[in-house]
Amino acid sequence: MADNAADVAEDYRQALEDLTVNSRIEIATLTNIARENANHGFAIAETLANHIKKVPPSRTLPALYVLDSIVKNVPTPYVLYFGPKLYSIFMGAYTKVDNATRRKMDEMLKTWKEPVPGSISTKPVFPLEQVRPIENALMAARNAAFAAQQSSYQGQQQLMRGRQPVPSRETPTPPTARAYQPPPQQLPYSGTNGYRPDAAQQPYPTHPGSTPIHHRATPQPAPVAGLYPPSQQPAGQVYGASQPGISIDKLKDDIQQLIVAEKAEFAQDPLDTSKQTRLKALLDLQMFIQSQDMPQDQLMAIRDRVAALAVNIRPQPAVPAAGAGVAAPSAAFPGVPYMNTPTPPVVSQQPTPVPSAAAAAVVAALARPSSAAAAPPPLPAPGGGVSIDSIFGQGALATLLSGAARKSATPQPTATPAPQPPPAAAPAVPALGPAATAAIAAALRSPPQRPVEPARPASAAPPPSDPSALLAMLRQSGLLKSGSTGTPPSAAPLPATLGAFQSLAGVGADRSLQLNPASLKIFRPHLIAKLHEELGPPCSQCGRRFKTDDESRRKKTAHMDWHFRVHQRMTEAERRGQHRSWFVDELVS
Amino acid sequence: MSIPGLGQIAPQQPTPSTTRTITLRPFWEWRFQVPRSSSTTNAAAGATVRLISGTAERDGTELALNRAYTFPRNTQSKLLTYTGATLEVSGDVVDRVAQYAAPEDSPQLMVLNLHFALQELRAAASKNRSQNNHLDDNNGAGAAVGSSSMPAPGPRVMICGEKSSGKTSVVRTLAALATRAGGQPLVASVDPSEGLLALPGTVSAALFGTVMDVEDPAGGFGVNGTPSSGPSAVPVKLPMVYYLGRERAEEDVPLWKDLVSKLGSSVRAKLAADEMVRETGLVLDTPAMTVAKADMENLVHAATKFAVNIVIVIGSAKLHNELQRRLGNERTAHGEAITFTLLDKSEGVAERDKEFMKFAREAAIKEYFFGDAKRTLSPFTQSVGFDDVAIYKIPDDSDFYDNQPALEAAEVSAEMSHWTLAVMNASVNDPPDTIRQAPVMGFVAIADVDEDRRRLKILSPVSGRLGNRPMVWGRWPEPYINLLG
Repeated sequence: MADNAADVAEDYRQALEDLTVNSRIEIATLTNIARENANHGFAIAETLANHIKKVPPSRTLPALYVLDSIVKNVPTPYVLYFGPKLYSIFMGAYTKVDNATRRKMDEMLKTWKEPVPGSISTKPVFPLEQVRPIENALMAARNAAFAAQQSSYQGQQQLMRGRQPVPSRETPTPPTARAYQPPPQQLPYSGTNGYRPDAAQQPYPTHPGSTPIHHRATPQPAPVAGLYPPSQQPAGQVYGASQPGISIDKLKDDIQQLIVAEKAEFAQDPLDTSKQTRLKALLDLQMFIQSQDMPQDQLMAIRDRVAALAVNIRPQPAVPAAGAGVAAPSAAFPGVPYMNTPTPPVVSQQPTPVPSAAAAAVVAALARPSSAAAAPPPLPAPGGGVSIDSIFGQGALATLLSGAARKSATPQPTATPAPQPPPAAAPAVPALGPAATAAIAAALRSPPQRPVEPARPASAAPPPSDPSALLAMLRQSGLLKSGSTGTPPSAAPLPATLGAFQSLAGVGADRSLQLNPASLKIFRPHLIAKLHEELGPPCSQCGRRFKTDDESRRKKTAHMDWHFRVHQRMTEAERRGQHRSWFVDELVS
Repeated sequence: MSIPGLGQIAPQQPTPSTTRTITLRPFWEWRFQVPRSSSTTNAAAGATVRLISGTAERDGTELALNRAYTFPRNTQSKLLTYTGATLEVSGDVVDRVAQYAAPEDSPQLMVLNLHFALQELRAAASKNRSQNNHLDDNNGAGAAVGSSSMPAPGPRVMICGEKSSGKTSVVRTLAALATRAGGQPLVASVDPSEGLLALPGTVSAALFGTVMDVEDPAGGFGVNGTPSSGPSAVPVKLPMVYYLGRERAEEDVPLWKDLVSKLGSSVRAKLAADEMVRETGLVLDTPAMTVAKADMENLVHAATKFAVNIVIVIGSAKLHNELQRRLGNERTAHGEAITFTLLDKSEGVAERDKEFMKFAREAAIKEYFFGDAKRTLSPFTQSVGFDDVAIYKIPDDSDFYDNQPALEAAEVSAEMSHWTLAVMNASVNDPPDTIRQAPVMGFVAIADVDEDRRRLKILSPVSGRLGNRPMVWGRWPEPYINLLG
């Protein structure tokens, strides 16, 4: 039968090759194949272990989910086969994947220490002596790296647990795998414990009602109650972009909670300036929200940021306390009082980055401001897709707020994040933009170095919060043509860069550009705007600018549609495989 | 216990060394270099940059606000701001900020002004068309003498300079700024050492009507900007490519001149045929040149064939004067006089060492077949008999003489392994001269040669038979041993 085993292994290997996304159906099928060929279990286990070892990081998680599904559904003989190798499989995968995936792996590891939900057996999935070395290794590594923060975990954890209504036995799998799933796609496998409730409601695709999987998939009442809290709103609510409105009180509440958490952190480590900065930013944000009336879309964007930040704080307490802190991961899930966050689950749930990119495209198509910030780049950033800076985007918040500030202060027609005015310049002295922008942007940024700044703005600058006054002044000085078309007021500060006024005389004398070195060396400040505001606001995805007249608007719509389509099609193409085309033999547009 | 990469697991506490905020004032530049390799295990990742506020651009293409841009290994470039900017930088990067007390001190000011001067000429070319005035050549740089029946197109700019003078950066910047202003510039490169939208060893041209890929190591002008069978996150460009198969023009001047002529006439035809293109004109990149007689002749040849009416020399007054002496009295095909301008060389131009260039060439080959981080491509491997393919080789340098055939049939041998061959858009029955000067369809890599069984393993971007297209085995780019490893 040796040949036969090899055949089975080869077939299985090929089937695994096709597993590129987190598809519940495919994973169930692979589980069934493993069950039906349990007599060749060793070969299959070998194949799967090798596959996990070799597969690119983006596909590691689905493969691990296959392992997870097999050991939970066909514990005999597979637990025996995988058990001894568990450490090397898990740690090997852990080292190569990004942070979002690691978090999923942490959650999976946690479930391995518990009995399979719904099964009669009270034994954990894997014997504890096989899981514990992994936990120890992970914890040791984290401790080494973050010894300084260890002490703060406790307080943080208390905080999180304090508002944790779900039973502590709650498994970490996101409850609403279906809620944010685009309908035509296959459902993602989200950890065995997560898919079972689903499976109970939808006939299992392979052998409905006849296989042990289905039998065991019947959820216990308790987890279901936990997974679908009564307060849960309909699916659409989960999808950030489509949510009609949000409660400002809720947002305030969330921010307040974050501040409390952040303060606890800060108290542990008062010397850490970044925490200080962040706390300050949050406080400013809170003040800002309380004092300002902001439009819905911006509130939503802020909420996304806040939610993202909360998610980011979450892994800290959850991870080191892999055994005990089971409650924490659900903090970010919808329906749980702590936080009502649409975006983060999408981000962290999907093992492949592509769906989130598609989501980003949807967001972009709706032309929400700073949607680029909400969307992770199509590929995980090197440091892991979920670093605080990549998700929270300190500057993103600053920009957003500045947009809001500008909007409230000036009659700017659109909410699109026009390029933030640089340290806008008054005569030879840089002044910052609208006060709110400055305050919050400065708080969020680490102290900028300004080596050659001649003087602090306060003394010489005109009232910075009133762009129209500045505009008028610039008009007077002749820097800005009074009839300049379609330039939003916020554009005004831009031409007045440092030294603008000094060279004003030169500009007047030699406005026409000649193709000779002397003429090319003259700075003509009024030209700078031609590359920026005069071209209209930029596309949030690629930075290309579109003017605001009707035709350009149409072009921009087409352009955004194109982004959206491409994101969609790239997901498909990734699966299908693509190749370079031949070159053309003429010059074509 | 140390698990590689685990140090990044708690993103809440970015260490100062991983994420930095950089504040730029107007006209300052953030010059950076992503090392080829690194001590950390995360070898594939490069540096990530996010524009937090203000505006910034790479070679003329603006960065979107708050989008994370990842620059891959071996990228060497700069981000420039005209209005001030705050950047957030993380990852493995060696960088510095070039600060200027006033815009006048920045070498980029001249490039910027050059762009605006070209824009004026483009506007004039557009007006010229709308008035359909044949008598008055309204081109600001030209003289109203000897107008042909066709109104002159927009500016055709040739950028010249010595080695490491920043030619290609200026070409890219001018092209990107023209695109940004809504134009459709033609960009051509007759420098075979690097390759524009194609592998090294080629001369090529393409239209740039869409935004460039900021993250591309070559700033959107690399081979990864060309089409694949699937979608691309950044609009692709369609290059027209000719294969020289040498590193430098001097190694085969007659052929180089022939290919430049062919490319030039395609470009001129395009300029005549397409209104948008006609207005925007051409930006031409040239190989590094000195004032040596042979080099001068080559430049004059290129200028003539592309009907260049503006010659920009970077950094070398000598070169500028010599070109002016040789071309100053010439008229373009449209009857314009030629304008000469000397640009300052940016002190920021980085000397790119041999290792850098080699890495870049190999990266280009790899990208051609396998795509990049954003778009994974799957080339096809096929095994063919020695007699099922038509492979020609460029004659050796040693027996280079005038009446030598352009190509000779190559005997397939193990020597050929790891070389990249050009697939020509010609028939195997065409005479060698025709094949040699045919446009390039693409490239294949020889993965393996089995002399005993007389079979070749070929890596090809597109599936299907290769037997009916002649392939040319040149000397540039040199073999890439680890393409499949």
